[in-house]
Amino acid sequence: MTTAATKKLALSHLWVAFAAFIVACFMGEYQVLERSGFISALDSAPVYFASVSTHGVLMAFVLTTFFIMGFGYYIATTTLKQPLWNLPLAWGGFWLALFGVVLAAVPLLTGKASVLYTFYPPIVAHAAFYIGATLLVVGSWVWCAIMLVMFSQWKKANPGQTVPLAMFATAANAMLWLWTSAGVALEVLFQLIPLSLGWIDTIDPGLARTLFAWTLHPIVYFWLIPAYTAFYVFVPKQAGGYLFSDEMARIAFIVLAVFALPIGFHHLYMDPEQAKGWKLLHGIGTFVVALPTLVTGFTVIASLEIAGRLRGGKGLFGWIGTLPWTNTMVLSVILALLMLIFGGFGGIVNASYAMNAMIHNTAWVPGHFHLIFGGTTIIMYFAIAYYLWPILSGKPLYSNEMALTQLWLWFIGMVILTTPWHVLGLLGQPRRISSVVYNNLLTLAWKPYELAMIFGGLVLLGSACLFIYNLVKTQLNPTAEALTEELEFAEPIHAVTALPEYLNSLTLWNKVIAVLMVISFGYPILQFFIMKTFGSSAWGY
Amino acid sequence: MQSISEEERQQILESSPVGTFALMSAVIGGMVVAWLFLYYGVFLPRG
Repeated sequence: MTTAATKKLALSHLWVAFAAFIVACFMGEYQVLERSGFISALDSAPVYFASVSTHGVLMAFVLTTFFIMGFGYYIATTTLKQPLWNLPLAWGGFWLALFGVVLAAVPLLTGKASVLYTFYPPIVAHAAFYIGATLLVVGSWVWCAIMLVMFSQWKKANPGQTVPLAMFATAANAMLWLWTSAGVALEVLFQLIPLSLGWIDTIDPGLARTLFAWTLHPIVYFWLIPAYTAFYVFVPKQAGGYLFSDEMARIAFIVLAVFALPIGFHHLYMDPEQAKGWKLLHGIGTFVVALPTLVTGFTVIASLEIAGRLRGGKGLFGWIGTLPWTNTMVLSVILALLMLIFGGFGGIVNASYAMNAMIHNTAWVPGHFHLIFGGTTIIMYFAIAYYLWPILSGKPLYSNEMALTQLWLWFIGMVILTTPWHVLGLLGQPRRISSVVYNNLLTLAWKPYELAMIFGGLVLLGSACLFIYNLVKTQLNPTAEALTEELEFAEPIHAVTALPEYLNSLTLWNKVIAVLMVISFGYPILQFFIMKTFGSSAWGY
Repeated sequence: MQSISEEERQQILESSPVGTFALMSAVIGGMVVAWLFLYYGVFLPRG
């Protein structure tokens, strides 16, 4: 049961998400221009770092969190066929999170939170940035609570019934986010806010980096799970086929939720505060979490193969050509998987304990996460938006052709942007620099790649503008006939009649996560309290 | 889009996704080759 009120709630979240997105896209293009040094009038390190910080916060925290909340509310009511539990609370979470964003925006835009949107002291931002970010997270916890309450209520009301796959994934994501955000919440509440307010004089960066590593990797899966949800529950139906296996999808979501968490130390391979044994343990876990992505790749491609063959495709690869490439969801998943292959490879290099030294803190790293996040994840957010907008607004999509052009442009722009970025990393360009203040053969060799990145950024910016234009025109279309469409979910080839409880519940997996977190983070955090360590003075504001 | 008989439809739904196996094998094989190239061709020579 989806009421107009729930649609309004979902649409409000999605508009905040995409408003943040378009602002961040303009900032991204400015940043590649400034960093290249081609236009000397743009050279300004303070403006550059304020822009990078704002771009990162808008993309990684605002776009994602609001999108996931809006999408989740709609998924919960449509799949469980029940009204949203506590609509006023959901609006409360929305306004709290939005207030947090506005509060954090003030120091960000005035250059008092140029901390590169990470939480790595001793560089410290104005307290308003941390308080605002905390309110955003607390707003998202409201969403988690509503999702888990609805999941639990539905299970109690329908004993023995299989939880719809989309809701199972959404609830798994809510559980994952509660675990994920706890690390950075501890860091912000007990270290960064007290330091930024002057309540403490020094901070232990080792502890802070360890707590942030707790959050830093699983947050990527928090962003990615809605994309994977669309892979499994929308794509097969849109392609004209069936989901290859409902059970494999559930296993993938469970393994993602469980193993995304205890692996964050691959971000700390070069850090001195953790011993190499812990890093190796987390490194092995990082390779384990590649498995659900492989399972997802297999299941989704197999679903597409079935659809292509049902549409008349023959031979080993003949089914690819018969897929409906003009369907925005199908085109998006194909482009998303292509970017996932290359982005995933980059991630494997990052996770390789020894080889990480070659690309650590180089331009390779932003190249990698732009390909996975800006590529695979965001293109699926586009696809979901194109699918949801007519349903939520009650009006047909303004232009399917424009949407297809936009998706292709996003893919092409992302390839043009991120390929040189990876190469620059291998050539030794550091990340987190605003300019190069010396010239030699090494840095001159970077120039052609930076030029290509500017062009890639322009293509992406054009694509982003087309996306927003299409959504606005859809919603503001005064002449369109009212639509009464609802979401269509893919059916599995073999209907799920009975599932073991561990594939239909999160209770066991919550306990498994607790055990793994104690094993992988227990002593690495405890050591800071049983060994003498020395704090650093704040650097920043 | 070609129309297919009910028998063909059932056959497709029951068949193994051979194209997917081939694609996934190529992707995983490509990744292994690329990783080995980076390790032996770029990383180790840098010392």
